[in-house]
Amino acid sequence: MAPVAYFVRRFLFFLGTLWAAVTLNFLIPRLQPGDPAEAIVSRLAGQSESIDPAQVQAIRVMLGTPDGNLFDQYVQYLGAVLHGDFGISYTYFPYSVTHMIGQALPWTVILVGVTQIISFVVGTLLGTWAAYRRNSRVDSVITLGSTFLGTLPFFWLALLLVYVFAITLRWFPERGGYGGGSSPGWNWLFISDAFQHSVLPAVALLITGPIGWIIGMRNNMVQSLGEDHTRLAVARGLPRRRVAITYGARIAILPNVTGFAIALGGILGGTVLVETVFNYPGMGRLLLESVSSRDYPLMQAIFLFTTIGVLVANFLADLLYGFLDPRVRKVESV
Amino acid sequence: MKRPRLARIAAVAVAVALAASGCTGTEQESGPGTEGRIAYLDYGDFGGGSNPQANYNPYLDASRLGATEYVFEQLITYDNYGCQAKPWLATEWNWTDPRTLVWKLRSGVKWNDGKPFSADDVTFTFDMLKQHKALDTKGIWRYLSAVEATDPQTVTMRFTQPGAAAFTLFSEIKIVPKHVWSTVPDPVTFPNAEKPVGTGPFTVKAFNPQQLTLARNPDYWQADKVMVDELRFHKADGGGQIDQLKLSRGEYDTNAMFVPDIKKAYVDRDPEHNRYWYPSGGSISVYMNLTKAPFNDTAFRKALLPAFNRQEIVDKAQLGYVKPASQTGLVVPGQADWLPKDIPNQGVIAYDQAKADADLTAAGYPRNGDGKRVGKDGKPIQFSFRVPGSWTDWVQAQRIIVANLTALGFTVRAETPTPEAYENDRAIGNYDMLLGVHGGSCNMFRNFQEPLASDQSAPIGKKAVSNFVRWNDPRTDQLIDTLRTATDEAAQKAAVADLTKVMMEQVPMIPLWYGAKWFQYRTTKAVGWPNEENPYAAPSDNLLIITNLKPAGAGAK
Repeated sequence: MAPVAYFVRRFLFFLGTLWAAVTLNFLIPRLQPGDPAEAIVSRLAGQSESIDPAQVQAIRVMLGTPDGNLFDQYVQYLGAVLHGDFGISYTYFPYSVTHMIGQALPWTVILVGVTQIISFVVGTLLGTWAAYRRNSRVDSVITLGSTFLGTLPFFWLALLLVYVFAITLRWFPERGGYGGGSSPGWNWLFISDAFQHSVLPAVALLITGPIGWIIGMRNNMVQSLGEDHTRLAVARGLPRRRVAITYGARIAILPNVTGFAIALGGILGGTVLVETVFNYPGMGRLLLESVSSRDYPLMQAIFLFTTIGVLVANFLADLLYGFLDPRVRKVESV
Repeated sequence: MKRPRLARIAAVAVAVALAASGCTGTEQESGPGTEGRIAYLDYGDFGGGSNPQANYNPYLDASRLGATEYVFEQLITYDNYGCQAKPWLATEWNWTDPRTLVWKLRSGVKWNDGKPFSADDVTFTFDMLKQHKALDTKGIWRYLSAVEATDPQTVTMRFTQPGAAAFTLFSEIKIVPKHVWSTVPDPVTFPNAEKPVGTGPFTVKAFNPQQLTLARNPDYWQADKVMVDELRFHKADGGGQIDQLKLSRGEYDTNAMFVPDIKKAYVDRDPEHNRYWYPSGGSISVYMNLTKAPFNDTAFRKALLPAFNRQEIVDKAQLGYVKPASQTGLVVPGQADWLPKDIPNQGVIAYDQAKADADLTAAGYPRNGDGKRVGKDGKPIQFSFRVPGSWTDWVQAQRIIVANLTALGFTVRAETPTPEAYENDRAIGNYDMLLGVHGGSCNMFRNFQEPLASDQSAPIGKKAVSNFVRWNDPRTDQLIDTLRTATDEAAQKAAVADLTKVMMEQVPMIPLWYGAKWFQYRTTKAVGWPNEENPYAAPSDNLLIITNLKPAGAGAK
């Protein structure tokens, strides 16, 4: 089968999954118990105050009730999604969902995107190094060290960083994306302020980020170094380093590439934990807030963005794979 | 060997990260205020969720920012502690008959854009709430039939029925300028984000999602009473840990948050200046499903009154910050004026297990041979007691309540559903026993109508508005109706007194403790905060507090 057919098939599969995701995204919030208007009012009142029924009624009018039956709503929803219209956020009324996501997205993309790329590069290099010198001290330090760090709960590590560097030493701010004194914009005060605020979350992500890539890369490479073609290359007297890089690492990196693409796609969903601990104004915290306050329009849009992100990344990884690894195309066509 | 290189790289990385940190920047310059005023005060959170957006529409309760409290004003304000109405944009009011209320407006009030305030603005505001139900969050048009400007200083309001019960609502409805809002296409989706125009003591100076800064309005109608040049509100995080830390470091001049062990965490850090005052809010009560046996028996409910150890709940589950609640449904001592004189101990019932035991037996619910309390059918009484699992202080209280009931021979299942499931089951009446909140406001009609009026109830399986216990008593309805229509205080007090007796004698619910209104303040820069010795306002009465603050050291106590 020609490679084109492979790509077409991948694309159709992508469209099918996308449709399923969009539909589930429509259905799931509608199956949840609870009334958003009541949720908003009880959040305002707090747990120890009585609730004024008039307020619930007014907020219900403000949010509006959906028109028509479930199917009509579904058709409307599909139309709105195609036009990029995700409605008005409940918690940030009258601001639109698109406005809210537009504000949160850059924070997450920059923080998580940059640390993901660094983690991937560092992790892959360290993994390669460990495999290249497998069973040496370097290997033990890297493998054991990353396994150990990997067992530490991430939020605990993050809290520890806050405690030591923000609260005790007061070198960095405890929370937020920037201080109250600067306003977002292209000015030096804000950029340096935002950078200072990003150091602790970035460090937290960089400590744990490379671990998966290290272990994956090392194991893949150790395996590929043990295969017949590598042994043949060694037997033919190729330099050890060249064997490791061009025969071992090049094959071993393939699964990591897919993983990396998926991880990049997942950025859109934010990193809920790190953004919560550091109170970072990104997508993860927006998602958490929308879920806890039953802000359905916002929640749906973030889930949708995340799903589409992962699906597109998967699709691209598939395509990339097709180019990188001829075996995939062969297997598919059998 | 390359071994040391990894270590070196790590060391360099750490060093770079540290060097990049620099100082964490305290951006705020502190200068002396002009004319002896306080330069600025640091306040806590300003609302609007974790990514606040500029929103100064005073009617969008869910998303507006705290600035609306200082930019806009109402016809009257309420001292919500002592329940006294204070003249504000209106200087006088008069019920010419039970359905007609005439307001005399204050003269010389200007909007902060320089235009004069008049009766037209008031009628415009109320007409707008009538047209847009989504903005009428106080439900004032449940009562009103028309609002007219008799002359530029006089507004006449007509009510569909005697309107005294609606009076406190006027302290919550902000008046907006006609010349701005009449040009807005849809006031429901109007964020009013650019320079909001109000009559209040402050204007919006600067906003970003981390900080909201308000500046004193020099043309305010009582500008001489506002002794603070700037208010700075700071975004809090959801968890509150960091905010507690900032509070204990003295970074807030005032805040309103829950702090475990406030004495150690706050007061002891600066005993001279750090203070707190936690006045009581609504009653938190045991709600029994009155459609089920044995809860449908008045004698049974009355026997349960001394069964609960309210003091232990207050001390252990609420850390001693609150007070045991009065069975009357009123908040004592703040509303003690409303109590009939013959109620002992202001209606706060002491824990007396032996009395509860004897009363239950006398009411026809004896213990059987195993020590289990049995019902009229001779079977052991079993029921569930629920609280939302994530409300940890209520879960603590649940333990004490269940232990109290178990000691009396009941078999009680402690259940901890999610808050959503809890609220839903409570509304549709799908429960045996749980906790609910009612009362605590200055509107006596609301305090009794919401939990007890039969029109706020619904059949089991349908959502009740607020009468979740499903109390259905013609006499209570009649008293609530009297309270709704009574315009003079004596008649209101008589109706409230009878309602407190319903609470005492028929026990539709059993109040246990009062929710606290959290309030911390520092006296380094400003004095004159309300407190136990000088309770001139509740902590949430922002306009009253800001017009009472004085610079510290200016002689005022």
